[in-house]
Amino acid sequence: MELKAGYLPGIKADNVDWQTLTYDRGGQAIDVSVPLLSEEQMKDLSARIKEASQQYLKSLTVSDITATIDAAVARLLDRKDTYRQQSEEYLPLITGYDAEMIRLGLTGYLKNFRQPELRRFIAEDFMNPKILDEFQPLPKGGYGKAYGPDLIAHIWAGNVPGLPLWSLISGLLVKAGNIGKVASAEPLMASWFARLIAEIDPELGKCLAVVWWKGGDVDQEQALLNQADLVVAYGNNDTLQQIRDRTPITTRCLTYSHKVSFGMISRAALDTGKAWEVAHQAAYDIVRYDQQGCYSPHVFFIEQGGAVTPQEFAQFIANELDCFEEKFPRRALTIEEAGDVAAWRQSEEMKSFSEGNAAIMSGASGAWIVAYSEAEEDLVPSGLNRTAKIIAVNQLDDVPARIAPYKAFLQTVGIAGPPEELHRLAGLLGAVGVTRISALEHMTSPEAGWHHDGRFNLLDLVTMTEVERSAETAAEAYSNYVD
Amino acid sequence: MNFDGKIIVVTGSSRGIGAAIAKAFASEGATVIVNYVQNASAANGIVTACKEAGGDAIAIQADVTSGEQIQALVDQTLMDFAKIDVVVNNAFKPYTFDPDNRKQFADLDWQDYQGQLDGALFSTYTMCQTVLPALKKRTQGSIINIASDLVARPTIPYHDYTTAKSALIGFSRNLAAELGPLGIRVNCVAPGLVYPTDASRQTKERIKEMIIAQTPMRRIASPEDVTGPVMFLASDWSRFMTGQTLYVDGGLVMK
Repeated sequence: MELKAGYLPGIKADNVDWQTLTYDRGGQAIDVSVPLLSEEQMKDLSARIKEASQQYLKSLTVSDITATIDAAVARLLDRKDTYRQQSEEYLPLITGYDAEMIRLGLTGYLKNFRQPELRRFIAEDFMNPKILDEFQPLPKGGYGKAYGPDLIAHIWAGNVPGLPLWSLISGLLVKAGNIGKVASAEPLMASWFARLIAEIDPELGKCLAVVWWKGGDVDQEQALLNQADLVVAYGNNDTLQQIRDRTPITTRCLTYSHKVSFGMISRAALDTGKAWEVAHQAAYDIVRYDQQGCYSPHVFFIEQGGAVTPQEFAQFIANELDCFEEKFPRRALTIEEAGDVAAWRQSEEMKSFSEGNAAIMSGASGAWIVAYSEAEEDLVPSGLNRTAKIIAVNQLDDVPARIAPYKAFLQTVGIAGPPEELHRLAGLLGAVGVTRISALEHMTSPEAGWHHDGRFNLLDLVTMTEVERSAETAAEAYSNYVD
Repeated sequence: MNFDGKIIVVTGSSRGIGAAIAKAFASEGATVIVNYVQNASAANGIVTACKEAGGDAIAIQADVTSGEQIQALVDQTLMDFAKIDVVVNNAFKPYTFDPDNRKQFADLDWQDYQGQLDGALFSTYTMCQTVLPALKKRTQGSIINIASDLVARPTIPYHDYTTAKSALIGFSRNLAAELGPLGIRVNCVAPGLVYPTDASRQTKERIKEMIIAQTPMRRIASPEDVTGPVMFLASDWSRFMTGQTLYVDGGLVMK
């Protein structure tokens, strides 16, 4: 079985150099052909997308665009649709993630892009969404209109299936042409989405493309970066630094780097009735996509003094991870990933020798590891792939000071605690750089319109053209009705 | 547990729980009769898996609601292997466990009940009638009937299905009482919701989460969870147990 990734409007498949990527993580080997454009082709493609964006996309209203995206997403949600069916069939084989986890994950994720959610998305960044369609009065006086760039270059990561849709859809909503470079780890979902858009609105289909090159291929990357008006890139700090260095100085470059997220459990959530439910939710956040997301928790801080002790809570989480292994088995690890898990375990074991109550728990299958500690430990990323550190603390209020040194890496905190504590902690956490606070069980599914890493998904993409009050006033002097 | 040389018939074993049971017996050295009614390629896949697991297997097509076809299955098994040690009555009439779209009592007609009684009880009755002469001849054997924990706790009232499974337990106890003196044991295994199987695929996450929250072991059964108790009841380790029902549902039902 061979699948084709990529979406290249206006380029004949025969004129493209195709490479084959072989995947063997889901128990059945599968080949995916990915397109490798020449520099000239990349340049031509960029020019065409820019032109289509100027001529067609910019003439649509935001409502037109949301309607098309909604129609595409509706098909991806419809389990009878062939796109949905191939997503359910092939994404597990490509990524190795459990098929059920992907099926449920896709539905939960795609629901964020239905029309009401898209409107929420826009309203979150634009007080008056019509500012994307036409000049609107500004509170300070004068008029303004928000313009999306003609071409956004997206350089995506492949850690979680479907993730490229966030930035691709954001680009479309601000009427930008888009060329997205998919990661080898998951090249299909963005390609299918682009094809779906083209099926629903062929003209809109000319305003986006999905390309590929081997990570680190400087020439390919440079060819796209040179053409883009704006770059949105995801990856580790080294990769992002290189992309930023190669982006022309006049082109804005938005980067989303690796983050660390964690959970906090108040003693109020640790009574005998609620503790299990909380552990169930925490374990779900660990299990979902095997901690590959920036919002996935690595550590849980557990407050002492509840009816269920932090140590017992760690045991609850361990048992929940064991249960989830039955429901959503962890994917087969690569050698590197298995090495990371082993190294983390070893380092946790070393630490545990010097600490009386420390414990390492793991399943018979080795598919999860929980390390428990009562020591004053720093926030260290876990070994990923269902490895988590449970740290007992006297009080949750002590945690922000401990994590403050890691400001640049902090993202989501899942909190289980009463309202007054939630709001007090939110203030303390926000001050040290945390950008998102969610309930447990929701850490890995941000709500529609969330501010990724605290930034504005749409607002960051546009430029404003303002007609200042002075221009309006001055124009009056030249009107034919001037007295 | 060693089932070397044992001949095990598992009805409805091309998929779901039956397939897991077939493979589990094979992995302990048994020869398994993989019975199926429609999907020959799935059944052949299970036969291959059984052989790879270290046992032996053959696939035999037979609709368990047909006396003639069951007779043919038993005849062929006895012709090939000369004996039968264990029968697992696992097949049932296709039923979709969809809590949101289940029929309410007022919507059920007797045919619904009759269909389930035929699928669960008549098929087991027929299989037992057919296979017993061979078991009696050797005054040994173990019959295991797959029921459901819904019998004890109708979390969702699937009337027709659960009523038939309740009858199956009563049937098994009577047969156990009669066959005990002949050294033949009859027991039931009553799983909770088993996921994933073709029958349970329509069960929504919400229902699964509700059951999980009430289940002490905090998860839903997988087909493999059912295999251990079935093999236990098939083996000499349970040689003094008959007429029993083992609930395999993580403690949802405690009896």
